[in-house]
Amino acid sequence: MIKRYFSLLLIVLISLRLSAQVWVVPAENETRKSPFAFDDASRKAGSDLYYTNCKSCHGEPGKNNAIPLVPPPPDMASAKMQGNSDGAMQYKLISGRGPMPSFKNTLSATDLWRVISFVRSFNPSYKQEIASASAAAGTSAQNVKIVLSWLKETNQVQASISGVKDKVNQPLAGAEVKLFAKRYFGYLLVDEPRTTDALGKAVFNFPKDLPGDSTGYVQLVASLTNDVAFGETKADTSLVIGVPTYRPPLTEKRAMWNVVSKAPIWLLLSYTIAVFGAWGFIIYVLLQIRAIYRAGGRKEND
Amino acid sequence: MASEVNTDFLHNKKLDSIAADILRPVGITQGFIVWMGFLGISLLACIYAYYIQFDKGLIVTGLRDYISWGMYIANFVFFVATSLVGMLISSVLGLIGLKWVKPIARIAEIIAVAFAAIAGLVIVSDMGRPERLPYVFLYGRIQSPIIWDVTVVTTYLVISTLLYFLPLIPDLAISKGRMGHTPKWLQQTYEILSVKWNHTPKQYQILMKAVRIMLILIIPTAFAIHTVTSWLFAVTLRPGWDSSIFGPYFLTGAFVAGSAAVVILMYFVRVNYKLDKYLTTHHFDMMGKLLVLVSIVYLYFNINEYLVPGFKMKTAEAIHLHDLFVGEYALMFWSVQLLGLVIPIILLLFKFFRKPFPMFVISVFVLVAAWFKRFIIVVPTQDHPFLPIQRVPHEWMVYHPTIVESAITMGTIILAVIIITILVKFFPVIPIWEVAEEQNELDSKTKE
Ligand code: HEC
Repeated sequence: MIKRYFSLLLIVLISLRLSAQVWVVPAENETRKSPFAFDDASRKAGSDLYYTNCKSCHGEPGKNNAIPLVPPPPDMASAKMQGNSDGAMQYKLISGRGPMPSFKNTLSATDLWRVISFVRSFNPSYKQEIASASAAAGTSAQNVKIVLSWLKETNQVQASISGVKDKVNQPLAGAEVKLFAKRYFGYLLVDEPRTTDALGKAVFNFPKDLPGDSTGYVQLVASLTNDVAFGETKADTSLVIGVPTYRPPLTEKRAMWNVVSKAPIWLLLSYTIAVFGAWGFIIYVLLQIRAIYRAGGRKEND
Repeated sequence: MASEVNTDFLHNKKLDSIAADILRPVGITQGFIVWMGFLGISLLACIYAYYIQFDKGLIVTGLRDYISWGMYIANFVFFVATSLVGMLISSVLGLIGLKWVKPIARIAEIIAVAFAAIAGLVIVSDMGRPERLPYVFLYGRIQSPIIWDVTVVTTYLVISTLLYFLPLIPDLAISKGRMGHTPKWLQQTYEILSVKWNHTPKQYQILMKAVRIMLILIIPTAFAIHTVTSWLFAVTLRPGWDSSIFGPYFLTGAFVAGSAAVVILMYFVRVNYKLDKYLTTHHFDMMGKLLVLVSIVYLYFNINEYLVPGFKMKTAEAIHLHDLFVGEYALMFWSVQLLGLVIPIILLLFKFFRKPFPMFVISVFVLVAAWFKRFIIVVPTQDHPFLPIQRVPHEWMVYHPTIVESAITMGTIILAVIIITILVKFFPVIPIWEVAEEQNELDSKTKE
């Protein structure tokens, strides 16, 4: 009990100290706004994103049941959370701090706004302001395509990006691209995010030792950071650029978790010996009952 | 059990009076009909409850995603535990050569047979699709402790039945001619079951050898049955189950429950069948000492089981222990530990409380507590999974046993009582020939 009391005290003290540190948001981020209006669809999508990515720490919105981290994750419905402007919220999601992870590479720009749209649904007095169309127009394009190729000599991956701008299909300059390699449980960021040159090309240094499948295939995914402006564009290409890796399936050898025919030998032996041993004696004793019966029959003849 | 049997006792006059005493209650009496009628009607209600579960599935129980092992599994562990006493009394104590266990041995075997037989049924009660039971044998994996459990429970049941039946054979033969007051079909049953026994030395020789083999074989089997039952829990990583002493912890707990069950049955037999000449205060005194001994050993394991994780307080263990000691389960936990373990130990240290009636009352407390102890072992652990599920109704995360579930559990207990009643009522409950043999020995000693 005393231990609990002290650790509680410690938590309170530390969190007081940390919450004293203001989370500074740059002025240009502070005023950023979502390019689209929050509606039921965005809130629904945001809710799904929230429950997979945020609830484990922040808890059920409005229930104040966040996990006890230092500093504590604020409840979504709290004044502290809702006191953020949309832009500040977006900035904090992108940058992260302490235990609060950065979602820069995990969620797309659109998804970030969707989560924010969900968070806002717990604030009845919230009035959304949408980014003015002109602000977005300058950098936007339609029908954006990303093509990935491998530059063998330098072991680099090149992304060529084009899109329809001013009614003309042309290379897209100045767009930030991220490259990911698909792994078992998610996507691994390859190299830094790069910005396309005048020819719409961005080049990523590819590591020499990234494990691929048994023939060396690695599934690559490229996406644009600003998918609000360019639409949710993705390239999804498999290239033979990894180290061929053969991972024997866990069910290949005899193991506790395998099927019966692949049970460990020692287990099969112990089980069989124990069962046959015990039942051997049982059957022997059952035969003895018969022997008693026979011995009884004989006496009458004596 | 001596391997050489001196059959002189067959000619001792006292055999007649001993047999008459023990056989007097055998047969159908009014009390028996009323008692069985009561059990039968109660059982019908429970069978109806099972019909509901069979029809609708386990949704009619309180079992959900978090707590999927509830009352049924606790009940299963209780049944297996209680049945273990057969091994302790007739085998361990018998083989050591303690004479006082002779009249009690059969009572212990009756408990063993009844509880082991129903244990299998209890497991079926936990199955939503009982018709898939054969799949356990068709597709079961030998790597799974559940398969080991099914194997040892079956083996233990067969050995216990043999240990009940084998020493009964001479009694059946002795009783045959003395059963005038019983129905004909019962006499015929005796005739068949006594397998032409006519007390030849050869028969005794075969019988003693067979009994001896079973007495020895039942020791590892009994250890296996309850150790494997404990492994169903201990092979997981979950707080409260992840323990290396779970095998001996379960075993010693089993001896406590079983000894209490034996005392309860002894008391009923002594009082209802007026057999106080054979189940004497000395027997209760000795059982009292046995119960203290096994309880102290169990207490020792309890201290180990809670003190060691309590000292380290690893996060998950700490939550679990908190729940037991001061949290949701505190009332049940402390009632069980105090009323079912600590207080009985203290009381039974005094001779007065080892008299039949106080022993009976204490044993009832111990046995009931033993049931709830199994509940404490099985259920609270599941309250706090390592990977909590999200966005599910609250109802899925808590466990409230339903009436249907309780009735089915009650039904299994009634079934065990029915088996015990039948065995106690239709067959000599105290080994006639062994008591007579001992009497004969005493007589010949006094003559010398
Ligand atoms: C690993 C736990 C964790 C996860 C997962 C997490 N957060 Fe946080 N979050 C925190 C913590 C801790 C803080 C407080 C950080 C601080 O103040 O330094 C925080 C702070 C925040 C803030 C800033 C609040 C303020 O102080 O103004 C926002 C906004 C936020 N989280 C939103 C989210 C959203 C949306 C998600 C899901 C996409 C998410 N968080 C996922 C732990 C987490």
